[in-house]
Amino acid sequence: MSQLNSSATPTLIAKDGTRILDGWALLNDEDVVGADGPYVLGFERALTELPGLNGKYGVRVNPGDDIRALAPYMEKIALVEVNFPGYRDGRGYSTARILRSDLNYQGEIRAVGDVLRDQLFLMLRCGFNEFVLKDADPEGAIKAATDRFENAYQSAADARQPIWALRQKLTEA
Amino acid sequence: MYVYDQFDHALVRERNAEFSDQVARRLSGELSEDQFKPLRLMNGLYLQLHAYMLRIAIPYGVLSSVQMRKFAHIARTYDRDFGHFTTRQNLQFNWIKLADTPKILEELAEVEMHAMQTSGNCIRNTTTDQFSGAAKDELDDPRPWAELIRQWSTIHPEFTFLPRKFKIAITGATKDRAAIRVHDIGLHLTPKGFEVYVGGGMGRTPHLGHLIKSGVPGEKLLSYLEACLRVYNRYGRRDNIYKARIKILVSALGPDEYARQVEEEWNTLDQAAIDAPYYEIDRIRSFFPDPAFADKAFDQAALDRAKAADPAFARWVRNNTHAHKRDDHVSVTISTKPVGLPPGDASSAQMDVMADVADSFAYGELRVAHDQNIILPHVAKADLYALYQQLDRVNLSTANAKKISDIIACPGLDYCTLANARSIPLSQEISKRFADADLTDEIGELEIKISGCINACGHHHVGHIGILGVDKQGIEFYQILLGGRADEKAALGVITGKGLPAEAVPAAIERVVRLYLQLRTSPAERFIDVVERLGRETFAEALHEPA
Repeated sequence: MSQLNSSATPTLIAKDGTRILDGWALLNDEDVVGADGPYVLGFERALTELPGLNGKYGVRVNPGDDIRALAPYMEKIALVEVNFPGYRDGRGYSTARILRSDLNYQGEIRAVGDVLRDQLFLMLRCGFNEFVLKDADPEGAIKAATDRFENAYQSAADARQPIWALRQKLTEA
Repeated sequence: MYVYDQFDHALVRERNAEFSDQVARRLSGELSEDQFKPLRLMNGLYLQLHAYMLRIAIPYGVLSSVQMRKFAHIARTYDRDFGHFTTRQNLQFNWIKLADTPKILEELAEVEMHAMQTSGNCIRNTTTDQFSGAAKDELDDPRPWAELIRQWSTIHPEFTFLPRKFKIAITGATKDRAAIRVHDIGLHLTPKGFEVYVGGGMGRTPHLGHLIKSGVPGEKLLSYLEACLRVYNRYGRRDNIYKARIKILVSALGPDEYARQVEEEWNTLDQAAIDAPYYEIDRIRSFFPDPAFADKAFDQAALDRAKAADPAFARWVRNNTHAHKRDDHVSVTISTKPVGLPPGDASSAQMDVMADVADSFAYGELRVAHDQNIILPHVAKADLYALYQQLDRVNLSTANAKKISDIIACPGLDYCTLANARSIPLSQEISKRFADADLTDEIGELEIKISGCINACGHHHVGHIGILGVDKQGIEFYQILLGGRADEKAALGVITGKGLPAEAVPAAIERVVRLYLQLRTSPAERFIDVVERLGRETFAEALHEPA
């Protein structure tokens, strides 16, 4: 699907619907990594250089990258940018879930690339908390995604309890 | 059957509100067809050759008389007065107006139905044995597990953009009537837990599923499935739509390596958060009790007299009833395949009659079988003749269950944008050729399955006789496959002989069948048994006109 309202400029927006300024800079391969700066490293570079770096960095993860390879460096990572080259490629959802539930990662997970309003609900559930969204009404898109479904059948990375747990509460009440 | 609670209702309502809004934006022009396409597909709405097609989920093929009556109403009000039951235990309406879809979905929601995830690269409707809860050979009832999977897979946030569609089937009986080895995941429910088969499928590159794990306890099923899906979501191919199904991944990695990766993933999961606990499984199970079986006095002599007086009824009882766990009941197959008509189609009047007889004789319950027939799972033997007479009035008494004219056929070139050749007219020609009921009975069990292209929606790979339509320089040609089967001895058919033009196919099949009748050692030796005993090549020559 082409982007809804695709003429809109990309907006960086948080899951609570507030716009945020992007303090991070994606480094090109030839750029030198400064100390503890707001730098986003490519995945391969992060694997090579994070062992020798101190401080907090961002990492850009593409669909084919195995996020678990970064497990030893979690305390050095403050931002993971999960790239969606096309909205149909759903590998990024697993990346976010592994970060939150297996690697216990607490930092920011940002969806970049082909990020559409109709996917936000799924992304929120998988643990994304920032979005680079091309939409004429980004606040409205976040609100619609947050309000769309009150409950869900499965447990995921958001605060919703699975419907089976809610049912149990009702019978106990 | 399962009954929605407030949570199930709310979720369908919320989903319909979302889709109504999307349809409104499409109709106003705010969304282009290109933008709308993935949204409508998530809700079962396809754009076919002539119109929109809406595919409605019939969860694991189970439906009530109330739901069947609703289908009749929708067919009358919004379609051309008929619907089409599919091989995936769903129902399709082929002539739908886009503007009507929100209203149709609202009507469906009133009877606890929806069209979610009947298309798109997500987990589709879980299918199962059409005789679940009724069959004499059943070890355990798969329906509660299918419902558990339905809920877990509905709007699963991680698995809505898989490499390709994903189909799960479950059986709980000795005989596999759910074709579990040609599904992405096939589950065999045993007293020692689930056997999990992965990587089966048909399409261009057919595979039989591999057993990757035995003894998965029911209360761990969801987390194990989640691990299977996660490995697939991460590593299934996305560069080529024809290599994106899980069968290609499992075959590339090897089943052992895939199983090892799943096991590793499973151990990382927070299983307690994913797996529904016992009380939820018990809650779901409580919706699938036996009906309150009527203790009707059954008079065998009266049934025998009716059969003697009405040979067509006798034939129907012989062919279209299936052994029930209670001796005074049977399961009944209502054939949607009368001679010369499209398989799987039913008019609104026929749907109403099926709903009525379900209420009168079958405790209000119906099933859709994966061979596109309708099942009444529980019928007292005492009611058989009355039931038969009502069905007979609306052309629903064809006595051909599992017989040569009980053909599975995809919609083919008449409806489908992908097809290379017609399927339905060919199935009609074949059923006309074998219209003689005595001949049909003499031939016995023989499954013919026809696909109009290599995507194999008509399951030609697992037909005892499979027929595949191909396009050969603008002319429709048909390849014949022999020896396929989807049951507990699953095997893939092999192309035998040269391709044939459409008009030559019915005669070729008749020659093959006549040869079978000569070669069999007794009527108990079925066509598929003879193919296995003597080999497919025995029949190759018969496929072609003698010189």
